[in-house]
Amino acid sequence: MIPAAVGEGAGGAQGVNTITIGIGEYAISAQSDSLLVTHALGSCVAVCIWDPQARVAGLLHFLLPDASEHSTRSVTQPGAFASTGIPLLFETAYRSGLHKARARVYLIGGAEMPHLGVAPRQIGKRNTLAARRLLWANGVMIAREEVGGLVPRSVYLCSRTGRLRIKAGHQHIVIE
Amino acid sequence: MSTAAAKSLNLLVVDDSAMMRAMLTRAARLSGLPIGAIHEAANGQEALALLETQSVDALFTDLNMPVMTGMELLRIIDERNSWPGLLRVVISADGSAAKRDGADALNTLRYIEKPFKPEAIRDVLAALL
Repeated sequence: MIPAAVGEGAGGAQGVNTITIGIGEYAISAQSDSLLVTHALGSCVAVCIWDPQARVAGLLHFLLPDASEHSTRSVTQPGAFASTGIPLLFETAYRSGLHKARARVYLIGGAEMPHLGVAPRQIGKRNTLAARRLLWANGVMIAREEVGGLVPRSVYLCSRTGRLRIKAGHQHIVIE
Repeated sequence: MSTAAAKSLNLLVVDDSAMMRAMLTRAARLSGLPIGAIHEAANGQEALALLETQSVDALFTDLNMPVMTGMELLRIIDERNSWPGLLRVVISADGSAAKRDGADALNTLRYIEKPFKPEAIRDVLAALL
């Protein structure tokens, strides 16, 4: 797990601090010029959040819907599961100033990767449904989803502007 | 009826399922859009009684309900012409072309098929505003 990365780091040539989030990890950027990036979203789902007023951005890359059958990993890597990672993402973001009522929430990923032959059946769909259920139960509306299909995705979230870029194969989707 | 300048919608949610009414109400409240009062009715007859006494801008109605169906409700609203500015939205598990065409003929603006995501309610409300 990556603990909340709150805009630290030396920054790049343009002063943008790139934070790369791996599978089962999450990060928060607050009041800084950061780019939250995650790659290889197959059946995994990225939950992206952004508060335009507080300029707080967060990204979680979770792997499986439910932590209940993975008691050890749910403690060592809570970001691997929707059921533990999503609450953790929001709680950390709240501490950095994000307000739920202002937050824009996006779901990306949840594709099916049958050719890999290792993931449980329909795990992409189950991941997406788990995220939707958890967000709805906590009174959070989803601003936009880019989920399903058969193509892995990469996500780039700018903490300053909230601009979200999604790369799916050769297709680029930009959400301002 | 609230004025257009106020940009706030009073809603009437008509469904025989209390759970569905609660979900619609919650989705409307969470939408972040200016929503005023939200009235609830369990069938078309209750809805008509509320329309007579309350200020309602938008109606969200199920079709298959006891006592008075949603289609009967829409027909009466259309025939009476007492609520010309009322925005009408159908939410139904029956997505057949016949039902959609029937609702269209009764001046329904949108047709949402069950099951639906809560965000669909937000998107329709945003379009109505």
